[in-house]
Amino acid sequence: MVSKTEESQLQQLENQVENGGGGAWEYLSLVRKLKLRRSDKVLKHGLTILNDPKKRAALGPDEWTLYEQVAIAALDCQCVDVAKDCIKILQKKFQDSKRVGRLEAMLLEAKGSWAEAEKAYSSLLEDNPLDQVISMRRVAMAKARGDILGAIDWLNKYLEIFMADHDAWRELAEIYVSLQMYKQAAFCYEEIILSQPMIPLHHLAYADVLYTIGGLENLQTAKKYYASTIELTGGKNTRALFGICLCTSAIGQLTKGRNNEDKEISGLAAAALEKDYKQNSPNKVALLASTLKSLKLQ
Amino acid sequence: MPNRGHKNVVVKQLVFNGRISFRIFFGVNEKRSRNQSDQPTMAEDLVLDTAIRDWVLIPLSVVMVLIGVLRYFVSKLMRTTQLPDAKIIKEGQLIVRARNLRAAANFIPPKAFRARKLYYTNEENGLLHVPKGQAQNPQAQMLSDPNMAMDMMKKNLSMIIPQTLTFAWVNFFFSGFVAAKIPFPLTQRFRSMLQNGIDLSTVDVSYVSSRSWYFLNLFGLRGLFSLILGEENAMDDTQRMMQMSGFGFDPSKSLGAEKDGLDIVNHEWVLPKLEQRAEAVLRKRLA
Repeated sequence: MVSKTEESQLQQLENQVENGGGGAWEYLSLVRKLKLRRSDKVLKHGLTILNDPKKRAALGPDEWTLYEQVAIAALDCQCVDVAKDCIKILQKKFQDSKRVGRLEAMLLEAKGSWAEAEKAYSSLLEDNPLDQVISMRRVAMAKARGDILGAIDWLNKYLEIFMADHDAWRELAEIYVSLQMYKQAAFCYEEIILSQPMIPLHHLAYADVLYTIGGLENLQTAKKYYASTIELTGGKNTRALFGICLCTSAIGQLTKGRNNEDKEISGLAAAALEKDYKQNSPNKVALLASTLKSLKLQ
Repeated sequence: MPNRGHKNVVVKQLVFNGRISFRIFFGVNEKRSRNQSDQPTMAEDLVLDTAIRDWVLIPLSVVMVLIGVLRYFVSKLMRTTQLPDAKIIKEGQLIVRARNLRAAANFIPPKAFRARKLYYTNEENGLLHVPKGQAQNPQAQMLSDPNMAMDMMKKNLSMIIPQTLTFAWVNFFFSGFVAAKIPFPLTQRFRSMLQNGIDLSTVDVSYVSSRSWYFLNLFGLRGLFSLILGEENAMDDTQRMMQMSGFGFDPSKSLGAEKDGLDIVNHEWVLPKLEQRAEAVLRKRLA
């Protein structure tokens, strides 16, 4: 996760570079350091640096890192020719390099020749069976081909070894949700919450999954997690506010209205929702009011 | 010499590399009565030749910095890419995951926590449970693996040799005179450590020999290295010594420690409290 100072710095650099000021190299270095995905900008500004031989010479040994970064950005933007050129230059300079081999395999993947890419990745993994990036690329390829079950398989194998990688857990959770395997998804979200307990998005996603599974206990737990999301975001997350109202009404339905103490927070959530709607989209207030009324009546 | 009555003046002359000579002036205040015991009295300020600063302190620091940089480059050349062991990586990640569980245990529902705790600490096939037989002596394991032994030897050598050489050099060339004054007073116990070349027992302990300047540099140049070599490579000798003594990753002990930690953890679900706080937040927002 990017810290606030870094984010503001990134924004500043981005604006500066977009409007024609200097600082393209600092921007690219920051993007590389923070591992962000700004492929179009990287491609545009990286190419301006690389095509200008003076600027290229000024970079010194960092030139090759820039080639790598631009190659990956080009693959992301489907400019296969640009990527091929960059990779060819890198190949000439660093023959027999694992990093360049990885880029070549990614090129094959981007072109769509899945079988060859698969072969390339397997051979790379034979040399170094613990390379995280290549294992992840294999998962991504399986997902891109539509082979979701294969993706799950590879991802599980990856997580058996690298079980502290919370991004991988998040990917797995999203795959499970897309397949409606909610119990497994809930497990994955629990892992993510364990590693980063203070991020409201994870609480929200977990609450969504619990609400979808249903059942009284899960609904109550979901309500608690919606509440924690509200607390972590200072009450501004509309989805969480709606979540609380829905959970309360669903619980009320299940318990036939026996529990009266939960109504308080749902009343507050409803009031907050009304305030938000009046502020942001006043023409939908009537729609909101009728929805809330139907929820409360149930 | 100023006429202040009797004064014991000890003039010590030392020829240093045939180029410099300097003298120490030592004064005893005669006003103190002779009835006083033979304690060393507070010397008045010694005047140290600025030549000491130019030819001792600065060259010593420069040499140590250069040696550090040299060591960094040599270690970079000699470093063999160690193939990461699958087992060690897996255990490392497992420890991180177990630690996360302990740290954030209160954020997941009790049932989930219990399931995970059992998964980790189960006596038969729990992840953290190391059966007694397998807990080998890590030292024996390290020494029997030839690659690791070579690596350790290389690391140790790259540290010991420059240190020994520099120390011998300092002792040979820079001994026998006062090099600097420490700005705060010290007790008499430090005398043997800091004033080893100075054979006068009545010199104030704040005046130290160049050996202590060497030690100061040894432990203090980390900041300078971080400037020169970049943030991560700033490793001065203290850290290297710590690395030398540590025997590397000891998985079975850490797993056992994590298991014990996990056994102790009492799950106290913090979500209900968060729910109440959420109510308060909403109320504040609406108010």
